[in-house]
Amino acid sequence: MAAREQESWFAVGRPLSRKRSRLVMLCSFVLPLALWCAIAYLPIWDSEVRITLSSDTQDDAFPTVFVPGDQMAVERFAAFQEAVRQDNVSPMPGQTPAATRRANKRVLRGLAPVAIAEGWLTADQEKDYAALYTVWKGVAEGNMKGGLSEENTVIAAKNWEALRAVSPTYDSDSFLSEPLLKLIPQGQSEVKRPSFLPGPHEIVMRAWEDFRGESELGDLGVWQRYGVSIRTIALGFLCVCAVGIPIALLCGTFAFFSRLIEPFVDFFRYMPAPAFGTLLIALFGIYDAPKVALVFLGTLPQLILMVANTTRMLDPALLDAAQTLGANRRQLITRVVIPGILPNLYNDLRILLGWAWTWLVIAELLGVKAGLTEIIDTQGRRFHFDHVYPIILLIGLTGFLTDQFLSWFRGVIFPYTEEGASASARSAARVLSKVNPLRRRRAYHAKAVPASF
Amino acid sequence: MAVAELDLPSYTEQSPTVAKRFAKLKERDVALDVTRISKVFATPQGPVTALQDVSFAVHRREFMCVIGASGCGKSTLVRILAGLEAASEGDVLVDGVPVNGPGPDRGMVFQGYTLFPWLTVKQNVMFGLKMTGHSEATAESEALQWIELVGLIDSADVYPHQLSGGMKQRVAIARALANQPRILLMDEPFGALDAQTRAQMQSYLMQIWQQVDITVVFITHDLDEAVYLADRVLVLDRNPGRVNELMEVPVPHPRDPKQFLTPEFLAAKARLEELIHPQRQDGVTDRLPMLRMTPVGDDVI
Repeated sequence: MAAREQESWFAVGRPLSRKRSRLVMLCSFVLPLALWCAIAYLPIWDSEVRITLSSDTQDDAFPTVFVPGDQMAVERFAAFQEAVRQDNVSPMPGQTPAATRRANKRVLRGLAPVAIAEGWLTADQEKDYAALYTVWKGVAEGNMKGGLSEENTVIAAKNWEALRAVSPTYDSDSFLSEPLLKLIPQGQSEVKRPSFLPGPHEIVMRAWEDFRGESELGDLGVWQRYGVSIRTIALGFLCVCAVGIPIALLCGTFAFFSRLIEPFVDFFRYMPAPAFGTLLIALFGIYDAPKVALVFLGTLPQLILMVANTTRMLDPALLDAAQTLGANRRQLITRVVIPGILPNLYNDLRILLGWAWTWLVIAELLGVKAGLTEIIDTQGRRFHFDHVYPIILLIGLTGFLTDQFLSWFRGVIFPYTEEGASASARSAARVLSKVNPLRRRRAYHAKAVPASF
Repeated sequence: MAVAELDLPSYTEQSPTVAKRFAKLKERDVALDVTRISKVFATPQGPVTALQDVSFAVHRREFMCVIGASGCGKSTLVRILAGLEAASEGDVLVDGVPVNGPGPDRGMVFQGYTLFPWLTVKQNVMFGLKMTGHSEATAESEALQWIELVGLIDSADVYPHQLSGGMKQRVAIARALANQPRILLMDEPFGALDAQTRAQMQSYLMQIWQQVDITVVFITHDLDEAVYLADRVLVLDRNPGRVNELMEVPVPHPRDPKQFLTPEFLAAKARLEELIHPQRQDGVTDRLPMLRMTPVGDDVI
């Protein structure tokens, strides 16, 4: 038996099978992520070294003093290490004992960053020579391990021999005046990505810190700012619904109001809402009010035009039918127009909520910056994009998940729409119809009806 | 044409029972009186006369079909009767009262499905009752009776999108009847249904009509449907829409699908055919040009 030929992946105007469509939907998210990973992790960027342990050198090729945290090209770092080794082989001759002692103290302190990183010292003991002595001793005797290269461990042991010979504990009066060996600089190789392109792992780590409130992001944490943003958008959106929907219903129902209101709204729509920013600040101050007002102003024209159109799209035959059943004008609006457009109105509002988020981000820059946008703005200006991306993702995720939820919830509250609700929405609708006494008589029975007649 | 060639009785011949029935029918009150209505639409190309001087009277409990070629103003006529559109001239009287605008005394069933999708079957049927001020409880018990009448009591709590086309139209009929209108206007209500469902719906409608005190004006373009359902058939001409003939259907009651092939039925249908699709006087028939596209010798005729 010949295997039946599989449907093509690219059949014109035909749906994919369930399995394929899930796979492709998954790719819709996986592909952008993979692209990001590829750009961030593939070896297309130069590597460089971030210094973890530094030394000074008398080599003229390195006139500046490098401190841990500084970055340099790999080749230059190797030259730097070589220069320090050279210093150890042939120390600068003719130094006064005092200068040598100062140089020796610098060598002692050179171990501090590693010691702090390893937890052998606390951050404030950086110049505590007594404490540094114990660290040198510990490293030399092998009690403190890690952090140092083998080469440096040997140097540490040799230095400790010289130090101990003078005094086993730090004593500023009897301090070694023969030159100590310098520690060879150590560093970590790092990929030199531009600051606007942090790798996914950095974003995840930063998001973890930021969202747990472990990073310093100003006086408010991410979640508090999130709350501020949500409050602004919710307030703006509620106001725009309260004002816009009645106007839109009037426009959609009566040609009179449509002609009276819509032409101006259509014109007003082309004046970008942020252009009114300074006006809004003058009117409403610099705190929350102008931000709510901008969300309102940006969304209102869209809402009026969209919802008016949705209202006009209501099947006029339903209005005819209602009139032949004795509905008067008021009943036509309350019993036919409003319930008739509700499912589509709901969809319009979903789209408009997306608009409102767009306006929110601009609105929060008005006056005193607030909400999540303040993090984006201040961190972005400092090129701390690793703090910016988690916030952008948070906004995106909030919008996306809200919309997904609202889409599902539509099936719950409008179980009669043709598009068909998901199975879970249907069962939720059934539960709701039992719980809510108002809906008692509207029980939705997903009863199979024989399709005769 | 085959029907016209049969040796049929005249459509004006009525058996004694049929003649008696028509005599009785005409003694009844006039439920719907239409006098000289005209309708002119203003279009960018100038005024178009959709109806001109249409007059007829429908008696109580009569079933009248209005038939005509497409574009003859059938739908305009029924919308004027419903009050959804105003006539340019003339009057429509229902039980002697002039019509201004739609009202619950004239129920209507539309060609498209006009059930309210957000209401269940029961709530749809209750809609008119609630609009006209009945209490929830009264409306519900009355609605259930009408739903039972159209045989959909099992689907009372179902939303319209779960119903088939025929079921939707049965609910629409119940919804229109629940208001107990004087007149039921039906604008090609079965036009969108498949042939089988349509036949079934015609039979249902006959049964319902026999049990309810209702006068029906039924618009259709289907000759069989008109002859099968109607007491009288109003034939409209087109351009402009005018009454051509008001035919008394000689088919006896009760009606049954078996009557489709009786001589009276065929005679009535032949007459309607003649009125709606008149033979061209010059004898020219509509033929396509002959262009042979098959191999020679491959004839099917």
